[in-house]
Amino acid sequence: MCGIAGMVASSNVAQKLYRSIAALEYRGYDSCGMAVQENGHIDVRKNVGTVEKVNQGERLTDMKGLAGIAHTRWATHGGVTRENAHPHMDSQGRVAVVHNGIISNYHQLRERFQNAGVVFLSETDSEVIAHLLGECLDKYEDDMETAFVSALRELEGNFSLAVISTKASGQIYCAKRESPLIIGLGDDANYIGSDFNAFIEFTRQAIIMDDGEFAVVTHQGYVVKELLSRNVVNKEVTEIEWDMEMSRRGGYPHYMLKEIYDQPATILSTLSIPREKLAELARLIHESRQCFLGGVGTTYYIAAMGQYLFSQIAGCYLPAISTDEFPHLAQVGPEDALIAISQSGETYDTLTAVRFAKERGARTGAIVNVMGSSLVRTVDVPILQGSGPEICVISTKAAMSQATILLLTAVELGVMRGRFGEEEALGYRDEIGKLSDVLSEALNERAGFLHTAASRHQKMKNWLYLGRGIYYPAALENALKMKEVTYIHAEGMSAGFLKHGTISLIDENMYTIVLMPHPDEKELHALTRSSAEEVRARGGFVLGFRFEGDEDVEGLFSEEIVLPRVSPLLAPFLHLLAGQLLAYFLAVQLKRDVDRPRSLAKSVTVA
Amino acid sequence: MRALVLAAGRGTGLYPFTETRPKAMLPMAGEMLLDSALGKLRAAGVTDVVMVVGHCADKIIDHFSNGASHGITIQYVRQKDPSGIRDAVCRAREHFQPGEGFLLVYADVLTSGNIYRHVMQTFGSFNQPVAAICHTPQAQNFGTVYLDADMFINKLVEKPSHKEMGNYVLAGVFVMPYTLFDLLRKYEMDESFNEIIASTGMRSAIWEEPWLDAQRPWDLLHGNQMVMRTWDEARVSGAVQLRGAIQFRGPVRIESDVVIESGASIFGPCFIGKGTFIGNDVLIRSNTSVGAGCTIGFGVELKNCILLDNVRVGRLSYIGDSVVGENAYVGSGAVTVNHNLDRSNIRLAMKEGKVDSESNKLGSFIGDNAKVGASNTLAAGAVIAPGQIVPHHHTYPVEGD
Repeated sequence: MCGIAGMVASSNVAQKLYRSIAALEYRGYDSCGMAVQENGHIDVRKNVGTVEKVNQGERLTDMKGLAGIAHTRWATHGGVTRENAHPHMDSQGRVAVVHNGIISNYHQLRERFQNAGVVFLSETDSEVIAHLLGECLDKYEDDMETAFVSALRELEGNFSLAVISTKASGQIYCAKRESPLIIGLGDDANYIGSDFNAFIEFTRQAIIMDDGEFAVVTHQGYVVKELLSRNVVNKEVTEIEWDMEMSRRGGYPHYMLKEIYDQPATILSTLSIPREKLAELARLIHESRQCFLGGVGTTYYIAAMGQYLFSQIAGCYLPAISTDEFPHLAQVGPEDALIAISQSGETYDTLTAVRFAKERGARTGAIVNVMGSSLVRTVDVPILQGSGPEICVISTKAAMSQATILLLTAVELGVMRGRFGEEEALGYRDEIGKLSDVLSEALNERAGFLHTAASRHQKMKNWLYLGRGIYYPAALENALKMKEVTYIHAEGMSAGFLKHGTISLIDENMYTIVLMPHPDEKELHALTRSSAEEVRARGGFVLGFRFEGDEDVEGLFSEEIVLPRVSPLLAPFLHLLAGQLLAYFLAVQLKRDVDRPRSLAKSVTVA
Repeated sequence: MRALVLAAGRGTGLYPFTETRPKAMLPMAGEMLLDSALGKLRAAGVTDVVMVVGHCADKIIDHFSNGASHGITIQYVRQKDPSGIRDAVCRAREHFQPGEGFLLVYADVLTSGNIYRHVMQTFGSFNQPVAAICHTPQAQNFGTVYLDADMFINKLVEKPSHKEMGNYVLAGVFVMPYTLFDLLRKYEMDESFNEIIASTGMRSAIWEEPWLDAQRPWDLLHGNQMVMRTWDEARVSGAVQLRGAIQFRGPVRIESDVVIESGASIFGPCFIGKGTFIGNDVLIRSNTSVGAGCTIGFGVELKNCILLDNVRVGRLSYIGDSVVGENAYVGSGAVTVNHNLDRSNIRLAMKEGKVDSESNKLGSFIGDNAKVGASNTLAAGAVIAPGQIVPHHHTYPVEGD
């Protein structure tokens, strides 16, 4: 997802245009840029980083022009580089283009231009639009509308785009096909945007473009036409009456809930990460003497889950170390490796650990969500998780996808180490392939029970999450979710550890959540069961998270949340989901600032 | 945007109170459901309402008239027999214009915030049909939905099975296109919604604040508490007569012309309606809602209860975890027992037989115009029919009932 904004006015547009892309930053935040047109010249400024950071370096707000377009990017293809950032221009600097979506016939077009000697500056599909427009301007003798229409007719795919040109002073040309585009009507200025947020600050009068339409916008007016016939379409002006935040969140009350609901889709894109990429990461592990897993906060707990996955599936031990402690603990040398996990790829502690390892000659890998981030540029083998922008400070979908990547990598490593053959690996992958559906089912059919539990127990001030095996790091992660977003004291602990001290805390002021293993994991199940009994025997309240069809635990818990039946491989993932939902519903009932909990930042870039 | 408000529901499960009034006229926290709904609609910018009335229609029409007192215009549509929601919506068809989207409101839903504004904002943001959804522990009573990753409703299940008990449920507020009327000629309500889902898509507006659709008499107490819990300040009308030393604590709301005699203790959250008399040494504990024109005698204790209008309670009585209907009389020294000695769940004798309230603390449910004699002991979960007379010195129901 990317964001497009544009503006034509009778006075300089730079300041307002900058505010427009800042308002669209939630649509993507790895790079951005602006183009403005004045006196037969187009000025383009763009770079990698957040809108604010790019403005500091490139001084976007100092640009001058009466028509401009802007773009904020969330890379899906092509690296995050200055060249790949939008806007893109043709070779002669006559047009600047911003674009959201996919040009599906871009390879053919690119080849055609390259054969004709055109030099491409970027790896994006968007740049071909600029060259195509340039070609059409030549062909139609600078008749901008005809050039624009004929260029569009050559493009295949789903997209929206906006163009300024030295041949069409004071005008923006834009078009929509599947990707959203809206025109805003102001008093002495008109706007375009991927959604209302681009201009809601300036006007509430909008025209919603339909697929197959294009528009020419000037500061005094606009005309919308059908692309095929070039007939003028009469559009209704819509008055926007709504709250900006709501639309950004896609209607969800909080980003956190939106991102929790995103997970089935996120996992699908995780599952489409090419096997070769995962094999590369597995090879890094395989060829190292000792490979560490590193993360901090949630990513540390995900790394800790990874420990169990690699141990169970690939039969090798990869110590997980919280990256803030890594330099004080890890013994790394040239034969070793470190795989770091970070949503932002800018986490200070994790970057420090990676640099520490590199300085000692170790090889490095990373699982990262933000393309072009420091971590991606630093490590030898980066895996981009493709989870889409995560806005809520509390990580949900990014963490779920990181754990999935570790699981998939463990399968690759298992094959590499000769633990099992291709056939068994296929079995694993089939099983993992069900994760998206299982999450969707659990979200739809079980969330209400977690909501009820949250309403019923919102006054409880202390929670203990217990688990064994891989459910132990899942318990740690669930406890962290609870702490972060509800500000309620929660601890995760291995269930076996409980009786070695902490059990003395069990009373009516401490509730326990037990993460029951899958019933097929017999030994783990029996041991966890006895831990739950220990708590109940001391009069403790136990909320069990258990799986459907687990008859053995009937009457064991004070209350229970029944999760859908899955294979043991996917069981811990459902516990993560349940933990997210419980923390979310509690936070809402307690009226916490869910998306921006106190004292927390999305990406901790300081020591 | 105009609203279609469905207020014809009979609310059979809320016996004995819906024998004599429509469900939408049940009061919680000092306000009738429909009063609360219309007030919130007005606040959300709706000024034009088409209301379908059926059961006890005249009570609604007498009370709300043309809507002027609420700052809105009401047109009424009568539904003669209780023949369901589909029929109710269809009857309103002629009041709407083809192409006109409208807010569809089930009047029996109680929320603490303004759910209508939320739904209209969602509609304003996306310009697509919208259904409010929420979570409730009683999912079995409502239509449930499935959501996709973009928050669209992708399936609606009208009568949920065991499998769908944890789903979001329809919260009774929608923005619907006029085409709903056409669909309803052919299809049932749920099928029509599914048609809309398949054609234009339906956005969900997730409602996270308290929500209740009362199904049983004890739900009225939950609704009362639900609203009162959000009160954070006391509001005492200037025209209240306080005769002597009276103790107030917490968010008490007292309307005009209330008279309170000395020695009374009034603990919020609680509500006392217009013109009510509170005698000496009365103790009103939290979550109590006393209607207008009531007379509460010397030394009475009220706790977590709803008294409708013009109730008289004789001296030294106790009413707790109970609802008392309009014009009812409770004699002096009467006690509503609110638990069983073995702490078992309290069961209510409803028309269809005994119903488990799934609660071990519940008092009595006394219908309109009933008379409970002096020195009565009403067993936990007693249900007294409208107009029924329970003689003095009695235990109700008698052993073995």
